[in-house]
Amino acid sequence: MPPFIRAADITLVFKSKNRDPVTALNKLSLEIAKGEFVSIVGPSGCGKSTFLNLLLGLVRPDAGALQMDGRTITGPGQERAMVFQEFGLLPWRTVTANVELGLELKGIAAGKRTERAMELIKLVGLEGFERHYPHELSGGMKQRVGLARALATEPEVLLMDEPFAALDAQTRDLMQMELLQIWERTRKTVLFVTHSIEEAAYLSDRVIVMTARPGRAKQIVNIGLPRPRDYEMRLTPEFNDIKSKIWDVLKEELTIVK
Amino acid sequence: MKISDSYAAHQRAVLGYCSLILILGAWEFLLTYVFPVNPFFFTKPSLIAAAFADQIAGPKLWHDLAVSSRAFLWGFSFAVILGTPLGAVMGWRRRVEYTLDPFLTAMYASPLVALAPLLIVFLGVGLLGKAVLVFLLAVFPFIFNTAAGVKSADPLLINVIRSFGGKEKDLYLKVILPSTVPYIVAGMRLAIGRGLVGIIVGEFFAASEGIGFAIQNYGDTYRLPEMFVGIIMLAVIAVLLTEIMRKLEITLAPWRAGEEVR
Repeated sequence: MPPFIRAADITLVFKSKNRDPVTALNKLSLEIAKGEFVSIVGPSGCGKSTFLNLLLGLVRPDAGALQMDGRTITGPGQERAMVFQEFGLLPWRTVTANVELGLELKGIAAGKRTERAMELIKLVGLEGFERHYPHELSGGMKQRVGLARALATEPEVLLMDEPFAALDAQTRDLMQMELLQIWERTRKTVLFVTHSIEEAAYLSDRVIVMTARPGRAKQIVNIGLPRPRDYEMRLTPEFNDIKSKIWDVLKEELTIVK
Repeated sequence: MKISDSYAAHQRAVLGYCSLILILGAWEFLLTYVFPVNPFFFTKPSLIAAAFADQIAGPKLWHDLAVSSRAFLWGFSFAVILGTPLGAVMGWRRRVEYTLDPFLTAMYASPLVALAPLLIVFLGVGLLGKAVLVFLLAVFPFIFNTAAGVKSADPLLINVIRSFGGKEKDLYLKVILPSTVPYIVAGMRLAIGRGLVGIIVGEFFAASEGIGFAIQNYGDTYRLPEMFVGIIMLAVIAVLLTEIMRKLEITLAPWRAGEEVR
């Protein structure tokens, strides 16, 4: 059986008029199975967010193959949805209308959209805030809307680009736990980009450590901790061993950047 | 207890009205007892109030207001109809902006009322000349604000629409238009002030009716209380229109409320 997501020798060069071309990704290869939770960590500017944009279909690679379910990714598609770091909510829309956005762009009828939006608002714990506008919500609540919006279109793959980086530490812990609960229930394939080793280790089945720019997969760390995971697991020696394993791989790349 | 509470709640309004009453009172008092000048050269609130009561009962004031409003509405409507699309194109297409910006900025910055005599030579005394002057003054806020609104559209939101498979049309309707609407309303607020200047100056130069003409005419004939009635009417209209625009801005773009002070 072919892997669910397959990236083979992906190369991407950013060209701009007045500057030298920058190689963002250099022969990045990796494979992801269906239903897997995979995190990508790496130094700043290593192209991890760029890789998510490739998977989303907003950017095309210069070389290499990028496939999902055996088909080459050529543009955005409803089987993939992104949760953005800065939320990306439309400020003139209520929570409900924001959650409905993807369904609306797919051409789903209004009644059905709202029904589906209500289910997801319930799933992410935002009941009672349906008619609120984004500026009336806290950061954590905004990202719940972002998550509900991505899940609303029933994607097979959830792409998450540092989704909790803009949140305070406690909100972040809470959102991680809730994301895991939602994931246990929906079992989507998740690609999660983060700067936090702890976050990657806590959430994922596997963690991909990338090299400094031009980025490629340096090493893949299997987490192998039992699920469902709770907050207390983060205090165990096993968890710390895994964190230091990831750190050992990552720190060489950080010194290169420096 | 009760009084101090309600004062704290309405401090802004209380102080605002008190200062207004105090200024009017001081004006009246000074001109009645301290410098009892000839009412020919200066007037006081009580005389203005009497003239006001007289004027709003008669047809002339309303006729003048109607004449001025017509020219204002024509000029203002064309400013919206032509200014917003031009601004939208400037905001969206950089080359159009680069081409037009120096010319338009120069026009915006210069006191265009200086063109009033020229317009009257070309277009004559009457509706057309005044409407064109209003248009010339009011169109720039629409152009520049619409352009700024289009440019303010968040690239992240454009990416969001694209990521869900949105087409070009969706970018315009779901991101760019809603980001621009509050800017257009803010432009409208600026344009109202400039348009009112246009109408008054137009009527100062050459007119036989209209609120600007009335002010000018009463001034020439030393009927100061009547003159002040015109000025006060203008002030009231300007404040009302501006307040309506402010309310509209808050209703249309509650997420922007408080971003701008004035």
